[in-house]
Amino acid sequence: MQTQPSFISPEALKEEVIVIKDSAQTKPLLKKFKDKKLPGDLAMWFFILAELTAFAAFFIGFAVAEQLNVDMFITGKAKLHPIAGLINTVALITSSLFVALALRAFHLKKQREVAWLLIIAQLIAVIYLVVKVWEYQFLFAAGIDIETNTFFTLYFLITAFHFMHVLLGMVILMLMTIKAYKGRYLNKSASGFESGACYWHMVDLLWIILFPLIYVI
Amino acid sequence: MGKQSPLNLNKTEYRVHTKKQLLFSWLLLLLCTLISVVIGEFSFDKNLMIPAALFMVFLKGQQISDIFMELKNAPKNWRFLLLYYVFILPAVIAAIYLF
Repeated sequence: MQTQPSFISPEALKEEVIVIKDSAQTKPLLKKFKDKKLPGDLAMWFFILAELTAFAAFFIGFAVAEQLNVDMFITGKAKLHPIAGLINTVALITSSLFVALALRAFHLKKQREVAWLLIIAQLIAVIYLVVKVWEYQFLFAAGIDIETNTFFTLYFLITAFHFMHVLLGMVILMLMTIKAYKGRYLNKSASGFESGACYWHMVDLLWIILFPLIYVI
Repeated sequence: MGKQSPLNLNKTEYRVHTKKQLLFSWLLLLLCTLISVVIGEFSFDKNLMIPAALFMVFLKGQQISDIFMELKNAPKNWRFLLLYYVFILPAVIAAIYLF
């Protein structure tokens, strides 16, 4: 049996205290960081933040312009179809749900299910594209375009910019679908898949701010 | 050896939400959308309608970032960055409309 040393040097005592202090401080910290992980790639999150900032400038600009041209904006909004906006909101929210379900299936390693859920998400997103194109055509037929007035300049700029983000998101989802269908995600890091999913949710997040600003308020 | 989770996640990975939680969140998002449309259609008081519609934006944004983006289990600085966005931006817009 090992006996305890009868004499502990001051240095050893100091070291012991440091070790105890260290472990007491780092253990909760380690636990905290072990349990929490940012989904996706860090670079994608910086890209998402940049996109959110650009849209924030658009939204604030729209609100300020409305306050400066109240009558013009009321007349302009009356020419839009609130039902078209509502259909697009439901389409993007539902599409986002299927992408979230696909991410869950991804972690369950159900590659085929992931592919099918992503296909459904894209088919629902097509509803958004069709409705938006119909809305643009309806306005063009009524003789309204980007140069009609400040309201329609901002309306076309913001919604077309968002439309392009939806298109890019659909390309990303398509690539994810092909990769999942071919089983190329098996035993691979989830980071790429999560990044694509988060981008799609960002597109949805932007629309839920855009919708009340342009169609409801 | 303890029973392994079907998700097979180790401690370094975050937990994903259940199917039930995702569906509940989706229903909440649809309900908030419907409420904001009803508020916009039938409310005549601008001072009440604008904060109510923008509060719905905050609720929806919270659901999307926390549940769909899975930021609820992400490091809190990232989570709150998105939550601040969906809170501060509608608040600024409301201030522009109301003051």
